[in-house]
Amino acid sequence: MSVLEKVRPERPATEARERRVTDEHGRRIRAGELAWRYLLLLAVLALTIGPFLWQLSTSLKGPTEDIYSSPPRFLPEHPTLHNYARVADTIPVWDYALNSLKVATANVVTNCVGSALAGYALARLRYRGRGAATLVFVLAMLVPVEGIIIAQFTTMRELGLNNTLIGVVLPGAVGALNVLLMRNAFRNLPYEIEEAAYVDGANVWQRFWRIGLPSVKGTLAVVAIFAFMGAWDDFLWPLIVLSDPSKFTLTIGLNYLHGTFANDERLVAAGTVIAVAPLIALFACLQRYFFRGVGEGAVKG
Amino acid sequence: MPISRRSLAAAALALVLPLSACGSGGDDGGPTDASGKVEGDITFQTWNLRANFKPYFEDLIADFEHTYPGTHVKWIDQPAEGYPDKLSADAAGGTLPDVVNVSPDLVAPLARAGLALDLDKAAGTYRSEYLPGAWASHRIPGMKGTYAFPWYLNTGPLFYNKALFEKAGLDPEQPPKTYDDLFSDALRMAEKSDGKVATLANVPTIEDFGRYGVPLMNRQGTAFTFNSAKGVELLTRYKELYDAKALDPQALTATPESAGKKFLTGAVAMNPGSALDLGNFKKNAPSLYRNIGITDQITSTGHVNMYVMGVMVNSRTRHTPAAVAFAHFVTDARHQMSFAKKVAIFPSTAGSLDDPYFTKEDGTDETRVRVAAAKSLKNAVNYTPVLFSDQMKTALRNEVAKALQGRQSPEEALDNAVNAADRLLRQG
Repeated sequence: MSVLEKVRPERPATEARERRVTDEHGRRIRAGELAWRYLLLLAVLALTIGPFLWQLSTSLKGPTEDIYSSPPRFLPEHPTLHNYARVADTIPVWDYALNSLKVATANVVTNCVGSALAGYALARLRYRGRGAATLVFVLAMLVPVEGIIIAQFTTMRELGLNNTLIGVVLPGAVGALNVLLMRNAFRNLPYEIEEAAYVDGANVWQRFWRIGLPSVKGTLAVVAIFAFMGAWDDFLWPLIVLSDPSKFTLTIGLNYLHGTFANDERLVAAGTVIAVAPLIALFACLQRYFFRGVGEGAVKG
Repeated sequence: MPISRRSLAAAALALVLPLSACGSGGDDGGPTDASGKVEGDITFQTWNLRANFKPYFEDLIADFEHTYPGTHVKWIDQPAEGYPDKLSADAAGGTLPDVVNVSPDLVAPLARAGLALDLDKAAGTYRSEYLPGAWASHRIPGMKGTYAFPWYLNTGPLFYNKALFEKAGLDPEQPPKTYDDLFSDALRMAEKSDGKVATLANVPTIEDFGRYGVPLMNRQGTAFTFNSAKGVELLTRYKELYDAKALDPQALTATPESAGKKFLTGAVAMNPGSALDLGNFKKNAPSLYRNIGITDQITSTGHVNMYVMGVMVNSRTRHTPAAVAFAHFVTDARHQMSFAKKVAIFPSTAGSLDDPYFTKEDGTDETRVRVAAAKSLKNAVNYTPVLFSDQMKTALRNEVAKALQGRQSPEEALDNAVNAADRLLRQG
């Protein structure tokens, strides 16, 4: 942007009559540069959503098509939804999706509530050992899940929660990273506002509920998306804690589509699309808040 | 990085498993004698067989419950990925099912933790029903006893792409038969195609070393020996292939699945497979199917490689007679035979391979592959050492990758791999 500003004043005024392409501030952008920007954006777009589109295309290809042809063909010749029906025939995909949804929703609720409360306590309340408590949360992030997974499993078994969906949710119910995210969001609010509320007679709960929370909605949305994705995508822990196939979550259930003896790529692709669709829907709903979360901390009018 | 996460998990499990298994030992162990009345509720766990064979197993279980009134079998099936992790966690948590589908390398840690029933003692009478080689495949070096019933066997030919052979000026009807032919054909293929077509897509695995005639382990089962001169020779030749791009440049990170895909796209000229792959080629890559060539596995020892699946009985089961009876029921000749007709596997029971189904040709490619495989199985060897764990496979793979990239000599690579494997072996 700064380069643009330096260049702009030297432009002859005659060009002003041409149709102008301007940026959000009304500054003019040269066509070449615009094309270059779009080209870069398209390249990144192709990199990020390309594989997903490929899966989508594979999942729509009919049984007679050569999916390994070289050069690869992107558009299916005989598009069909048959593969999706076959996924549902092979595995109880909707039951698995429902289990996943339960786990993910519970995870979102516990994470949002837990990390908002804990984050507020770490950021705003004054008590002995607050620094140490924060440090504990930071250290908790350093422990690799794989290292403690057996201990977690035996704990769940002692509690009688193995092979239950509660057992799946519990270890990730309040993520340390989410607590720290919320703590930082609360810390970025100016003290003065809360002091004003305090002078007006608001107690801690009221300050948390009426002042703090409404100002960190963006970060909360980020936490919600992370929690949802984390629960939705998790594989190893649900695999270990669940034994009964009827309680499996979608990620484990979809693994059945990888056959022991033969693999049907179309089936796997259709399963992948089913698994990813809810994530896209969720992000589409929350993206407004998601991006606001990045710029959060400013006092809003 | 799935590999590093996985190996981290495996390392953690290896540390925890022996401790916890010892700690919880002996509290709820059932009788080790299988001669009592067959009754009670047992759980049977398979490895990724539900999606395709649900009716088969439901019939099997109904049949068993009918034969032995008073029994009830609960069938659970685990997905393909993470099975070793799942078994370790269940072993540590004391939640291992009564009858478990295992492979020899999976049963070894369970047997060492005292969780697998010694079938020589508990079910020795059934021994003669199985092929001797298959029964022996679930013996653990350094331990007495056999720890699982042999279940299905798998082996297969080597597929090659005739069109690619022709393009490289090789005779498509004369596929390589020996390692020397294979390596010279591969180099020629790479040269003619400017490195675009590789012949092999996998780095050498422990089975490849075995098939090349490298002694893998000492007799006592206490140390690995694949860093001998013969092993170094094989790796040196693979390095030549890699440098000439006759070994696919992505082989370092390849899985059997990704290698199979490379073969389907025509980027790789040869790939090991089984009778099932023919159907896959027909369905997914019709143009390849028209040019498919089938030849025998290449081996310097005269014995092809086979994979063995087994069915283990949990030594802590409350209903030992029922569990043993069911494990035997699943693996007996009749049920293995009917399973073999559902999918291209081979029964491990004595005499089953003499069935006309495995000896009579009917002109189709599928049958030809099946008959040839069944014939080769009679003296096939399971080259994978029982004690060669997942972690050791990763260690070997990493060292081999470094050698192929030229970051260390083949000797160093194999010495390092042997040392790492021996260290893991001692940790047990």
